[in-house]
Amino acid sequence: MLNAVVNKQNRMTVVFAALADPTRRRIVERVSEHGAIRVTALAKPFRISLPAISRHLRVLENARLIHRQRKGRLHLIGARAAGLQAAQKWIAQCAAHWDSQFDALDELLKSEADEEAKP
Amino acid sequence: MKSEVKITGNRLQITRVFDAPRERLFAAWKQKDLLQRWTGCKETKKVEIEMDFQVGGSFTQKMNIAGVGEHSITGIYDEIIEPEKISYHVNLGSATTRVTVEFIEQGKQTKVVLTQDGFPDPNLCKMVSQGTEEALDKLEQLLVGQMA
Repeated sequence: MLNAVVNKQNRMTVVFAALADPTRRRIVERVSEHGAIRVTALAKPFRISLPAISRHLRVLENARLIHRQRKGRLHLIGARAAGLQAAQKWIAQCAAHWDSQFDALDELLKSEADEEAKP
Repeated sequence: MKSEVKITGNRLQITRVFDAPRERLFAAWKQKDLLQRWTGCKETKKVEIEMDFQVGGSFTQKMNIAGVGEHSITGIYDEIIEPEKISYHVNLGSATTRVTVEFIEQGKQTKVVLTQDGFPDPNLCKMVSQGTEEALDKLEQLLVGQMA
């Protein structure tokens, strides 16, 4: 049980580390908009070198946020929706966690107010 | 879900209005004896907290979670403006989670705005929780399209 939980957390650490970089976030956005896109076309709006783009792509591939299709010399980059959905689900779980924490805090504040109201 | 939730990119913002004055809310984060009473989820059997509440000071929350066992997190306070704001971060290997809590006065009530980014959350509780699936489904519907 603990191992499964920790593995899932490690995997999400990789996903969020990949998404932490603003250039990589923009790459994911661009890939999601375009469907399959050539690396050179993908790199166009970025003011960084092609090797730098390639490094970012490797990080995103490793995090399973994008996939690479090879057609001869042509590399097509596509989005992997499942990776993003997993990230979304994780954030949703964190939101639910804070919400239940806030419920507990609310209870505590109410009990404090009750104690004060006593003569 | 009683809180208002906003997600942009990899940032979560969760807002709740509490029926209590701001000083009391701030104290619930500042004072160990109070923090210990609400921190940790349903699955948490016991929480032990050590904290040095000052900028650069650290805190450790040792939790005993049903189905998981002992789990502790250690963080550092980055900013404390009493009674308005608390900011801290938790290092998790390659990722750092940052949390900022703001306390805004609204008459006799207090609005708490909690912002978190750089996931994953160190709290493992929700990973083992089964009870919140319905709330999560609703949330996920809300989130569709917001991430990309």
